[in-house]
Amino acid sequence: MAYLLTILEPRGQRATRSAAEGRELYARMQAFAAGLAARGVLLAAEALTSEVDGCRLSVREGHCQVVDGPFAEAREMIGGIFLVDVASREEAQAIAADCPAAQWAAIEVRRTGTCYE
Amino acid sequence: MGMPANDDINRRIEAVWRIEAPRLIASLARVLHDVGLAEEMAQDALVAAMETWPTRGVPDRPGAWLLTTARRRAIDYLRHEALQARKHEQLGHETALLQRTDDDEMERDDESGDNLLRLIFTACHPVLPTDARVALALRVLGGLSTPEIARAFLVAEATVAQRIVRAKRTLADKRIPFEVPAGAELAPRLASVLGVIYLIFNEGYAATAGRDWMRPELCEQALRLGRVLAALVPREAEVHGLLALMELQASRFAARIDSRGEPVLLADQDRARWDKARIRRGLEALAQAAALGGADGPYALQAALAACHARAERYADTDWKCIAALYARLAQVAPSPVVQLNRAVAVAMVGGPQAALDLLDRLADEPRLAQYHLLPSVRGDLLRKLGRLDEARACLERAAHLAGNDRERELLRRRALACTHHPGA
Repeated sequence: MAYLLTILEPRGQRATRSAAEGRELYARMQAFAAGLAARGVLLAAEALTSEVDGCRLSVREGHCQVVDGPFAEAREMIGGIFLVDVASREEAQAIAADCPAAQWAAIEVRRTGTCYE
Repeated sequence: MGMPANDDINRRIEAVWRIEAPRLIASLARVLHDVGLAEEMAQDALVAAMETWPTRGVPDRPGAWLLTTARRRAIDYLRHEALQARKHEQLGHETALLQRTDDDEMERDDESGDNLLRLIFTACHPVLPTDARVALALRVLGGLSTPEIARAFLVAEATVAQRIVRAKRTLADKRIPFEVPAGAELAPRLASVLGVIYLIFNEGYAATAGRDWMRPELCEQALRLGRVLAALVPREAEVHGLLALMELQASRFAARIDSRGEPVLLADQDRARWDKARIRRGLEALAQAAALGGADGPYALQAALAACHARAERYADTDWKCIAALYARLAQVAPSPVVQLNRAVAVAMVGGPQAALDLLDRLADEPRLAQYHLLPSVRGDLLRKLGRLDEARACLERAAHLAGNDRERELLRRRALACTHHPGA
């Protein structure tokens, strides 16, 4: 069963770190991902650049609307994702608790599946 | 915020254990040179966790906590042994290894990977009977408890416990080294490992219809082991072949059973329910096996067969010519009556029922198929297509009689009955 772990960081948190601190946290996350791979549970892991680079897009009545980041109304931003294949929600949760980012962000644990059931 | 209930804590401990047990046992076995002993020390640490975490809370790094605790138990054990045998020199070396503290990670990744690989090869050692390999692998590589393994395989707990105890004793008595085999030894040993993983997968796969959640979990365990192995020996084509085969078969989980729990044949499955992500991963692993020159490996060929089905958007789109060719190849590489039986099914789709029936006639005296329900089941279907309804019904009734589980038996009875009520259908 695949679970998506989404890291929800407080907006603006990255700006409070020095470049060296940022790199150190990134290295810890890389090591964490390597550990998941070594346990045979990792399907994908990605870090995301700042939402300043991103945009939100919607199409309504044939009209495409694009809003560039940052998204002022949101308090959190998606910092990265892990996709893990485990037997139960408890295992996904145990992995999330072990994730270094749990110390400075929230981690949303969601099961993959169809969106109509 | 209140303390989480004990049930929650126990589920968390169990989850941490499932994830950490293999690396924990592998690390201890490297120092103790004894998988059975390593597993017992790790179990002691698990018991300690169950005693202390509910009252003191789950530690920040539960995996590291378990390793430290298990290492302390191992040091105590070695001291006790050394006192009795007065082997102080050896003790110094081993306790030094056990007392190392690695601040952040449990162990360096390359080192821990090597130990895990040693554990995989040792638990699946050919010196052990197959059922013992499976039980030991699930215990030390999957972190499953004896009652869980017993439930998964529908055997008595005492049976599993005995298999594990005997397996550990055999490894110790025969002084099986805790090493990764090299040279000419590697190929047969790897084949044994792959065989164990696929057995675990099949046991879970065959039983997805069961009410018990433990059995499908075997598939997850097998997939996880396959991925670990593929990461540790990435140049071995058949590991990728096996991984591809398991992913592709697992992609059909949701479609294999209908809402009443009845099995659904491949032809009737709702392909929208197939897991696209698993199919993608399976096809990638198959491409990897082929890129390594392993397209003709028995697992890769079976994966290629599963891939033919996975690629067909509708049953009618199935490339039966490709499937018949792959079965012909598989019959050469890994000859077996079951492969011939499946080949006949594919041949029927390409060349018609009579051509397939001719192939099956060669299997009529095959002793390994005498009790195999799929032979009369396939025969019955071919005879029905040829309009030989009385023979068809007799075959399907025989198949129903031989079928191992209730649901399959029911399905076969209905097909036998259809030969009476709907001639020519």
